[in-house]
Amino acid sequence: MKYLIATVLLLLSGALHAQELLQFDNDSQRDLYRSLTAELRCPQCQNQNIADSNAIVAVDMRQKTYELVRQGQERQQVLDYMINRYGDFVHYQPPLNRYTLWLWLAPVLMLTLLLGTAIYRRSRQPQHNADTKSELNTELDQLIKRYRSKKP
Amino acid sequence: MRKLFFYVPLALFLLLTVFLLSGLFSDPRERESASLNKALPEFALADLMQPQHIWTPEQLHGETFLLNVWGTWCPTCNAELGYLTELRKQGVKIVGLYYELPRDPTFDAPFSLKALQQDVAQKLQQNGDPYQFNILDLERRLSLDLGVSGAPETFLIDSNGIVRAHHIGDINPQIWRAKLAPLYQQWSQP
Repeated sequence: MKYLIATVLLLLSGALHAQELLQFDNDSQRDLYRSLTAELRCPQCQNQNIADSNAIVAVDMRQKTYELVRQGQERQQVLDYMINRYGDFVHYQPPLNRYTLWLWLAPVLMLTLLLGTAIYRRSRQPQHNADTKSELNTELDQLIKRYRSKKP
Repeated sequence: MRKLFFYVPLALFLLLTVFLLSGLFSDPRERESASLNKALPEFALADLMQPQHIWTPEQLHGETFLLNVWGTWCPTCNAELGYLTELRKQGVKIVGLYYELPRDPTFDAPFSLKALQQDVAQKLQQNGDPYQFNILDLERRLSLDLGVSGAPETFLIDSNGIVRAHHIGDINPQIWRAKLAPLYQQWSQP
């Protein structure tokens, strides 16, 4: 019994002392911090966001993001702060400019091209079919005629 | 018409192949730095060896120099010290920005300037000392403002304190000749 109580107390004490490493003024700040660290890209270990990476620069960027969020800065302000220093590269959502325009245009262009080709081919196909059909018909007619003419 | 249906997709396919093939040989670290053609960010940081002296951007005006981000913990930085020392002998002014590692309060010993100074002095004695002086960026604030992603990195700063080149990685004779020497010549002319 003693051990049971001790175990329960031990387990409880862990839960009671559980404390967040980073403290925020409110939930919206915490959400902002989470979403920002998820979409900012680590310049050192590329293809990891700064929340996942433990590179020195990612640790510093997390710290800076935390400070700026705690100061009450908006999402765009924090993003601008990082982009000013590390370039568009650092944000996983690239802005729309003359270099990135093709990312949006290419799929649309490809789809248009594909649809255009399909429609073009389809518009030709029935004509083609009709031709062979009438050709076949005349051929059949001739065969029937020949067959009939053989019979007395 | 049939020929067109054959050659257009073939051409597109070949174009895509060449594009993807070129991607295999491109360096993902090679990208335009955001700090180019901007003035050095504001800072007031202590000298590594004479901590009573505080460096500010204004004190660095007047001469074109290389700002080399490094740390004794970084093997590549130690390896490039030799060649940088050679450059210093040729008259290139090189300032060190000491990039200190972050410390975990739970596991790491507290920061000791004395230990770091000894460590740096020993490394510079072993490998050569290319630096006029070293600026200690303990919190890596200046490094963050400059867009440093790791060590070693080197900036070319002109006499007005404007960043003119940002090189990620070590400096070796090939890199110096091909990339940095022409820029250094260009910006050090009065």
